[in-house]
Amino acid sequence: MVANRGEIALRIIRAIQELGHTAVAIYETPDNAALHIRVADEAIWIGDGPRRDYLSIPKIIKAAKDHGVDAIHPGYGFLAENPDFAKACEEAGIIFVGPPHEVISKLGDKVTARNIMAQAGIAMVPGTENLSHGEAGLQEALEFAAKYGYPVMLKATAGGGGRGIRLIENDAQLKEQLPTARSEAKAAFNNDNIYLEKVVIKPRHVEVQIMADNFGNTLHLGTRDCSIQRRNQKLVEIAPSMIPDKKLLDDICATAVQAAKASNYFNAGTVEFLVDKDNKFYFMEINTRVQVEHTVTEMVSGIDIVRTQIKLALGRPLSFTQDDIRLRGHAIEMRINAEDPQNNFMPEGGKTVSVYRSPGGYGVRLDGFVYQGFTIPEVYDSLLVKLTVFGFTWNETVDRMRRCLRNYTIVGPKTTIPFYLNLVNDPDFQKGDFDTSFLETHPHLFDYKDDPSEVNKLARLIAEIHFKKENKYAI
Amino acid sequence: MDRIVQGMHSSEVLKRVREAEGYFITNTARDLSQSDFKNRILLHTDLLAADARERANYFSLEITGGASVHVDILRKQVDPFLKLKLLREKMPNTMFQTLCRGVNLFGYRPYPQNVIRLVVREFAKYVDVWRVFDFMNHVPNMQAVFEEVQMSGKLLEPSICFSTGPEHTDEYYVKKVGEIIEVTGEEISLCIKNHGGLGTPKRIGELVKAIRDKYSDLVIHYHGHNTDGDDIGRITAAVVNGANIVDAADHAFTGYFGPPPILSVIQTLKDYGHTAVGVDEAAVIETSEVLRDQRQHYEYFESQFKGFLPTVQIHKLPGGAMGSSFEQAVKGGFLNKMSEILHEELPKVQRELGNWWSVTPGSQILWTTAVSNVQSGERYGNCSGDLKNLLLGKYGPFPFYRPEDWIYEKAFGPDWRKIVAEQGGVMQIEDMDIDKERSILQDRLGYEPTTQQLVTYLQHPNDAVDFFKFEEKFGKVYVLPPALFFKRGGFTLGEALEFTDHDGKEHVLEVGPLHKHEDGSTSIYFNVDHHQRVFIMAAEAKVEGAAQEVTLSKQEIQELAKIGDIRAPFGANVCEVSVEVGQEVAVGDKLVVLEAMKMQTPVMAAVAGKVEKIAAKVGDAVKVGGKVLKISCAADGSGK
Repeated sequence: MVANRGEIALRIIRAIQELGHTAVAIYETPDNAALHIRVADEAIWIGDGPRRDYLSIPKIIKAAKDHGVDAIHPGYGFLAENPDFAKACEEAGIIFVGPPHEVISKLGDKVTARNIMAQAGIAMVPGTENLSHGEAGLQEALEFAAKYGYPVMLKATAGGGGRGIRLIENDAQLKEQLPTARSEAKAAFNNDNIYLEKVVIKPRHVEVQIMADNFGNTLHLGTRDCSIQRRNQKLVEIAPSMIPDKKLLDDICATAVQAAKASNYFNAGTVEFLVDKDNKFYFMEINTRVQVEHTVTEMVSGIDIVRTQIKLALGRPLSFTQDDIRLRGHAIEMRINAEDPQNNFMPEGGKTVSVYRSPGGYGVRLDGFVYQGFTIPEVYDSLLVKLTVFGFTWNETVDRMRRCLRNYTIVGPKTTIPFYLNLVNDPDFQKGDFDTSFLETHPHLFDYKDDPSEVNKLARLIAEIHFKKENKYAI
Repeated sequence: MDRIVQGMHSSEVLKRVREAEGYFITNTARDLSQSDFKNRILLHTDLLAADARERANYFSLEITGGASVHVDILRKQVDPFLKLKLLREKMPNTMFQTLCRGVNLFGYRPYPQNVIRLVVREFAKYVDVWRVFDFMNHVPNMQAVFEEVQMSGKLLEPSICFSTGPEHTDEYYVKKVGEIIEVTGEEISLCIKNHGGLGTPKRIGELVKAIRDKYSDLVIHYHGHNTDGDDIGRITAAVVNGANIVDAADHAFTGYFGPPPILSVIQTLKDYGHTAVGVDEAAVIETSEVLRDQRQHYEYFESQFKGFLPTVQIHKLPGGAMGSSFEQAVKGGFLNKMSEILHEELPKVQRELGNWWSVTPGSQILWTTAVSNVQSGERYGNCSGDLKNLLLGKYGPFPFYRPEDWIYEKAFGPDWRKIVAEQGGVMQIEDMDIDKERSILQDRLGYEPTTQQLVTYLQHPNDAVDFFKFEEKFGKVYVLPPALFFKRGGFTLGEALEFTDHDGKEHVLEVGPLHKHEDGSTSIYFNVDHHQRVFIMAAEAKVEGAAQEVTLSKQEIQELAKIGDIRAPFGANVCEVSVEVGQEVAVGDKLVVLEAMKMQTPVMAAVAGKVEKIAAKVGDAVKVGGKVLKISCAADGSGK
């Protein structure tokens, strides 16, 4: 069973079906026209939602039991990194596709995770323990800021996926933001613990895909670069990292494996690092789930991560060794979201995709759940489809991405496509030179016109003439 | 003799005309469009005809001016300058001609001197022959245009407007020609502007002869209309008596109120021994062969009233106003009263107001007054602002006699003598701060306007801004053929629409299905150059601003005015708001100026008080009884 929705549900259903198993989907009412329930072998309605039923452990466990489910893959988001869910699965005798709940629990608690890494001697961005509640917590925070200097990052201990993070520039902001951050963390993750971290200026976001079986084998599938983000949420991911220093990347990968081992990691996970401009790297966190951007690693490594996850969860050993892993070429993934980049990436939920035509051809992979006629639910995220392309060289990959973006036709919601078209034409991007400040330092990426071509303007007028009862130009 | 080509200095043009054996022809395409097709003949059609017209070797092609500049931006959605530029590319030799209303330029009321000069300078870059007139034949009203045209080296063609009646003698007109020549010299072409197509061939022949006798070397250009079906006769008489140039149009498009067919003129005059200099008859015929197929798309704009109208000799409406007059009669529901208006009231009003020339803007004043007199039942009971200005002499002195006192009393009340004494005289218009207007336009557009855009804006501010925004949104739409631009009732599913865009790229648009959504909006599916596109149309346009549905009687509106609630007395556009919130006003102070049917009418305060609220802004359309503004009046009614 897939305890998720959207493109990742579809991705996992495909792997289950390829392994010869029966794929069971769950859905809330707003998703009753979603593609994942059409592709799955069985689909179970679990409630009206929105979101709360996808987050309901009892409902999902009950549905799984009622349908005789053997294993549950949680995808990403929702319950994926909730140790209670993993634990409930274990208690119900259902295999949880992911690490054991204890591992999720300690790695999910950012402060505990930092302690484990500190013991293993892994470099980290300076940070605090969980801040105390009330005035004492504020004092701890102010002291930390005084010692390491602004800016600092206020983070939810249980956060992830870019949520529960805010940048603090001075004391006043810290005082103002701390209570809000805490109540937000409570609302979002049901855990109001927050902590503070020093901010690394203009870092690259580099992460390592790791795989670990229950037979003592832990290996990595190379690096990904997820530096191109907005509001701390990733938009574009590439594999492998474009950092030219191969030795540095090897060190990062080795450290990732070391970190995974230090936390007794099992199944697939991602170790995230920040790399500063002096090529020093800092451990950030381990994500105990399949990542949105796992596709780029699959493209360059040839390893089906989700298939491997399921096999590992079913108790099999890794069928390949570190030496078997040969990274070949480059991959780029762009998240095509129903958002308006020119309006601060405002979601375009509620709109109907009246035309949907996707690109194809060599080196092109689509992980989406959108189809022509689909109305995007307003209550979930805005991701429509992940466009992943592979190429033998970086240039070829960028060229292929440009071609695919141009070949896309999505009518209805505004999307991030025109923004990405500007991105692939940007000289810095073409050189592979980007860090997390890329969007701020390249504001021209937002400079595009909705519908610039003369023929489309004329077509708009003809459409009006066609539609209006009275042609106002002919009176 | 070498042909006359665009770019020659006016003196060289005149020399060739004087030396030529025969007469010349101006193709008055613009006047044809205005008189018989409500000015809607599209640039697309003129571009189709351009090649053959160029080869036909006319003296000139009248293709801009009159109401066309306004209609270009208001209806046809084409930039009047771009139009000239594109035609010039296809017609490198033919001189382009315009019709300019003197101080009123291409509009309906006077512009400041500096605006006139800027507009003329900018248009003179494209326009080679400048026909200039004033509806009162008041030479000072044309002087600024005369000067600018002569400075540009382009050919100036001052006009004497022609009409009939006891005052309209050869003596009067010859004297008027003298007045013009005094200002311009004889290096001009003089136009006899017979915009109504009035008089008999005999009468026109006499007039041309009288002018020719006095000015043997003067180039004379006869312009007429075929409303009574006899303009060929007048043209023939004009040429036989010494006119050098005459006006006619392509026969495939000739109607009832515009110029007669070129070919008929040539054939007739040939028999009288007069040759149309340089004209290639085969190219004249070819032009009409090209145009013939286009006419079907313009049927809607042809007059509701078919057939020649010899009664024009009674009502004297200019050919250029015939189509729109009948259209107004249909839309206003008074078509049944047209005979009374045209054959009784209009001639009466003309005589009463001074028997001057029924041409823009005078023709609108006469027409509106006649319609109002018949419709309201009380003659001169509701004088328009423009009529009042006329009575005050703002447009210039009455040429023959002043209207009788009772009309002044109707217009201005018992104190009319005092009002005329205080306010009378030719309108003095202060220069405009053009730099300020440029920055206002820049603010409205969001980018720096070109001088041509500024020139268009200075003439028709709101319509120009609407047009520039339209062009930004929809592109250069002149490329759409009339079959497409004028399409009514939508296209057929699967229909393929083809057109070539401004850059010369060919496009094909296939019409797909419509899909109506629950929220009332509609998706329209097109394949644009084989790419599927969807256009979402909103459910219905929202009513904005002061355009509100209120039905009040005339009496109710007057009653409300007395308590300071100012309502629009008729459906109109607000063209000026003369007061500000908080301003003290006295009885009779001008509050706003409304414009309907090209006529401006001020709304005066009926009570004294303070302006509390202004509901309408410049450019708003207000319906009868729509809120305009509110005056809080003093409780004791002081200030009466």
